[in-house]
Amino acid sequence: MTDFAIRTFELSKSYGGRRALDRLDLDVRRGEVFGLLGHNGAGKTTTVSLLTTLLAPTGGDAEIVGRSVARRADVVRRSIGYLPENVRFYDDLTVLENLRFFARLSGLRRPDPRIAEVLELVDFTGHDREKVGTFSKGMRQRVGIAQAILHQPEVLFLDEPTSGLDPVGVRSLRDLIVRLNAELGMTVFMNTHLLSEVTKTCTSIGILRQGRLVHHDTLDATLRRFPGEESLEEIYFRLDAAVAS
Amino acid sequence: MTDLLVIAGREIRERRRDPLLLVLIAFLALASIVSVVVAAAAFRTELDAYTAYVSQLLASGSSTPPAAPRLFPMQLLRGAVEYVEVLGALFAIVVGYGSVAAERRRGTLDLVLSRPIGRFSLGLGKLLGLSAVWGIVVISLAVVETIALATVGGASIGLYELRGIALATVVLWLYLVFWSAVAIGITALARRPSTGLIVAVAVWLVVVLILPQIGDTMDPDNQVPGGLFAALQIQRTDELSVMAHFAGFDGVRNAIEVSSIEKHTERLAFAFLGIKDQYNQQPLSAVWADMWPYALTLVAATALVTVGAALTTTRRTLQRRDS
Repeated sequence: MTDFAIRTFELSKSYGGRRALDRLDLDVRRGEVFGLLGHNGAGKTTTVSLLTTLLAPTGGDAEIVGRSVARRADVVRRSIGYLPENVRFYDDLTVLENLRFFARLSGLRRPDPRIAEVLELVDFTGHDREKVGTFSKGMRQRVGIAQAILHQPEVLFLDEPTSGLDPVGVRSLRDLIVRLNAELGMTVFMNTHLLSEVTKTCTSIGILRQGRLVHHDTLDATLRRFPGEESLEEIYFRLDAAVAS
Repeated sequence: MTDLLVIAGREIRERRRDPLLLVLIAFLALASIVSVVVAAAAFRTELDAYTAYVSQLLASGSSTPPAAPRLFPMQLLRGAVEYVEVLGALFAIVVGYGSVAAERRRGTLDLVLSRPIGRFSLGLGKLLGLSAVWGIVVISLAVVETIALATVGGASIGLYELRGIALATVVLWLYLVFWSAVAIGITALARRPSTGLIVAVAVWLVVVLILPQIGDTMDPDNQVPGGLFAALQIQRTDELSVMAHFAGFDGVRNAIEVSSIEKHTERLAFAFLGIKDQYNQQPLSAVWADMWPYALTLVAATALVTVGAALTTTRRTLQRRDS
């Protein structure tokens, strides 16, 4: 069994003539919480879309727990959970009905016990008969995480999970991510541009700039490498400025 | 296979809660009843005219009344079949388009496509669900029409009539599935779902309205109401010998007509229901001997667009908005 949950090999994606992701080489070890940072348009969502097999790479490859996203996408999909940015559900259905649908698509034949389990895990018990259409963004995110972990994936991909949440929602979701990682040993790969979240959640980080990975290390090593800087934010801007020049 | 059934089940539940579909079905049912009522009234008028004519002849001393008009109760269903051919096809397009467009608009596509579902499961699952929905729709319409036929039309419904209605129902079901598959395929291919709808409606316009209309307009028998040959009191055998002189022209006209799947559907439904005089009260084997090429084409065309819909509703095409 490979030590790496995620490995990419010169992973690239072009849209027409524009290169959104440029030869990305990245390793994420099992059990890590990895944060991918970058400005808007840096290629973060493209990276997640490639790793979750929603997009096909135009160059290179990636492996999720040792399986190629290009050649074994169907197997990869069984190993991953995915929470898109602005997750949407079937608003006319209840939480239970939505989760049953996604659980069955993941191959769970009798999903109700597992649904009860994950709803408890994401602190959402008691809402299962409510329609998703009535929920706030924070509540949707919880249901989103519930659907992502229903089939007990090895790697959880979160695309801007705290985007649009109020401070209470941000903290609550952050605690949940940490708990999922600690209790279930799930590898978490999250995109974000909120640097404060990364320091409180991630064990390793990568910084993307215009489709290129300009920094990749553990959070501790990154902070140690720039002893004069007060925060990750300062380090981020320093790295960004260095690459830009 | 399970993912296919799960998606189909979801599609059926979604359509069940779709008020638009309910309105469309209610409209089709109402239109079918109205068409039976109108056709029954026309039959009665024709019959009354004949009866009055015969009375006048008898009163004037004639002892040989003219042949009675050939009125078969199943012919009351002509309008109902035509409504499904034209409006039903349009509804099937709208529902097929809505099925793909709603998934895109809601933003649920990413969640569905990140699941371990088969490459063609989304398109085929949706089409399977819609096929079940159209099955329920055509069966419901058949029940409504049969009741209307028996009550308003005063027809006695026997095994022969029921068999004809059942076969025509299967034909119309395939036809609606065909149009939903066309709409799903085109909408999935289009970068914007609305473009898909416009293209699908344009195809409908050509196939359902323009091509059959050209064929009908070119038909010499359609040049006067009630039929040219009937108006000239030309018998069927003489009609065929007249038309033999225009074999080339009639071949082109027929080719234009049969290039439309709507005409295949119509010829099949009209034959099974006995709406066309030549097939009325005929044994099924005789009808089938003439109709099997049309049945084969309808099945093949539906299978072909189903494959097309499956091939086009892949992750790659559905995710193209990102590129």
